[in-house]
Amino acid sequence: MKAKFLSVVAAVGFSLGLAGAAHADLLADIKAKGKIVAATEMHYAPFDILKDGEYQGICHDLFTEVAKELGVEVEFLDLPWQSILPGLEAGKFDIVNAPVTITAERLSRYSFTLPIGNATVALAKKAGDSSITKPEDIAGNAVGSQKGSAQLEQLKAFSATLPTPADIREYVNIDEALADLAAGRIQGVANSMPLMGYAAVQRPGLFEMVMPPFGEPKYFGWVARPGDETASLVEAINAALLKMHEDGRLKAINEKWLGTAPDLPVTMPDVK
Amino acid sequence: MELDLFVRYGPDLLRGFGVTILCWIAGSLGGLVLGFAIACLYRWSIRPVRWVIEGYVELIRGTPFMIQLFILYYGGPYMGLVLTPVQAGIISFVVYGSPYFAEIFRSGFNAVPKGQIEAARCVGLSEARIMRRIILPQMLVPITAPLTNFIIILSKETAILSVVTVPELLYETQTMAAETFTYIEPFLVLSLFYWLMVIVTSWLGGRVEARVTRHLKRT
Amino acid sequence: MDFSFDVIAHNLPYLLAAARWTLLISVAGMAISMVLGVLLCAARLTPNLALSAFARFYISFFRGVPLLVQLLMFFYMLPYVGLDLPAIAAAILATGMCSAAYTAEILRGALQAIPKGQAEAAEALGIPSLALWRRILVPQAIRLGLPSLVNELILLVKVSSLASVVGIGELTRVSQNITGETYRPLEIYVAAAAIYFVINFVLSRFGRLAEKRLQIG
Repeated sequence: MKAKFLSVVAAVGFSLGLAGAAHADLLADIKAKGKIVAATEMHYAPFDILKDGEYQGICHDLFTEVAKELGVEVEFLDLPWQSILPGLEAGKFDIVNAPVTITAERLSRYSFTLPIGNATVALAKKAGDSSITKPEDIAGNAVGSQKGSAQLEQLKAFSATLPTPADIREYVNIDEALADLAAGRIQGVANSMPLMGYAAVQRPGLFEMVMPPFGEPKYFGWVARPGDETASLVEAINAALLKMHEDGRLKAINEKWLGTAPDLPVTMPDVK
Repeated sequence: MELDLFVRYGPDLLRGFGVTILCWIAGSLGGLVLGFAIACLYRWSIRPVRWVIEGYVELIRGTPFMIQLFILYYGGPYMGLVLTPVQAGIISFVVYGSPYFAEIFRSGFNAVPKGQIEAARCVGLSEARIMRRIILPQMLVPITAPLTNFIIILSKETAILSVVTVPELLYETQTMAAETFTYIEPFLVLSLFYWLMVIVTSWLGGRVEARVTRHLKRT
Repeated sequence: MDFSFDVIAHNLPYLLAAARWTLLISVAGMAISMVLGVLLCAARLTPNLALSAFARFYISFFRGVPLLVQLLMFFYMLPYVGLDLPAIAAAILATGMCSAAYTAEILRGALQAIPKGQAEAAEALGIPSLALWRRILVPQAIRLGLPSLVNELILLVKVSSLASVVGIGELTRVSQNITGETYRPLEIYVAAAAIYFVINFVLSRFGRLAEKRLQIG
């Protein structure tokens, strides 16, 4: 069928075109322009928030400091996830400063910076629900998480260790899982600890954190195109992050948004 | 392009496609029937009823499907209305499509000259016969293409059902995209499957059109 | 359930600011959709085989591929052929060009209902074909197809939400952003729905008014 054939051609053209987007050295280009363009989804509190028309959050504050270290200005873009990877490949921006959980499969396709946040999974329940006091209490209950997320994998693994596994429901966005928790269809939502904590702070009468977090420790990093072109940029960002580890800025920013500072590793975490 | 991804996610994607098709057909047929009923009611009723219908059409047609579905599914339980994802999906899909179909049918009714209907009444044809023999054959000529259009649009609106966890095509594709950090493969899957639905719908629409315009062709 | 009107009141200015993008994309997209729709419909119906094949393919492509994918192509692929459009231009062009495929089909359906005798009479009277289209066929097609055209324009307003994928903070996107921070989706979505409703209600009433004006007899 002609129509079908053309769409295949278009898709192949898509991938070939994108592969040709390499520059010699991204960091040099950024320094020459005096500006770095960072894209994120302003939709993952407390890392990326759009509040009163303004971009805020941990990733905003951290990346602003990083840009200072690089000696360049920073421009932030808000994009839904579907267009973040295509945009990154097409060179519409230089880096993704969204909190992206570092996993082996993703590392095989993209470059990640050092950890910038704790992505370990934790549980939120409806405020005042006395039947759930520890993560193990989700046994036999319905729990929601985000589709395709590393946290969902952790939840599944954890659930399998329980005497009765949990009934795990997968949502496209975490907003919807929380809306369903509020509506009473599910008894818990599992996502990264910072997000669950923020939800409980924002809607205290509605959501409550269940301590402690569970599963393997996981970390968020920022994402760059793979390859030599971005190697020096990722290195420079990592150096800036390490400096902020030492002078306490990283801790201060985390405390500002989370109340406590997570213990973030200063080397790339080992992912299997 | 990584072909092994299609092998890995293939069964899920195909199952998602099946759910998409089911919801699409149920929504289109339900919407067509409800829309036709609304258009008929509008045509043959008194003023206050017409106002209510106009209000319904404006309200449902004027607001996004995603928001309607979200409010029905996540807001419903506060009013004691707890639906399953597929129930909420199909109900809201039928309701969402109905005002569009109703408007298309209304334009079809308007395309039939009033004089013909009056003449038919004068010669004593029953209302049912007038509908079947005079109105329908003529109204279908201008509206088959817009009906085909809208059924095509509905095929893509099924993607919104993912918001309430209906395991349709987009819902399944997003797993592949998020887990593997790919985007060309998922978009290719979406484009091919939707295009397939559109090709079949266009072809069917063309067949119906040929049938309803047969009397207009000169030999 | 605590439905918070305060949250709506607090965020309404930001939603309204975002709605300006929705309006801009919609209005500009509509203009493209109508003009291109008429041209495509004419191309589809000409005896010129190449032109009508092109129109058929155009309609099949733009109706077949999801608009989301079309938008990504416009924004991320065109730079490789040397055409780097600003995001807003890509959004307007993609929505308008996609909608034109549907508009063309609505007009084609309406044209079929116009008695063939009219075109034949015009031909017999020596009226040039451009004038036949402009003065006789298109106005009648628009009259017959008006409710379906209004349907399509309203769909265009709502589908403008996809412009978020090229980085435009339109109404739906900003509603989601605000929901991500306030965790109050129901309140924010009700407010967003109300804004969409106002836009579409105005559009729909214009359509009704035009229908009355164009009515015959």
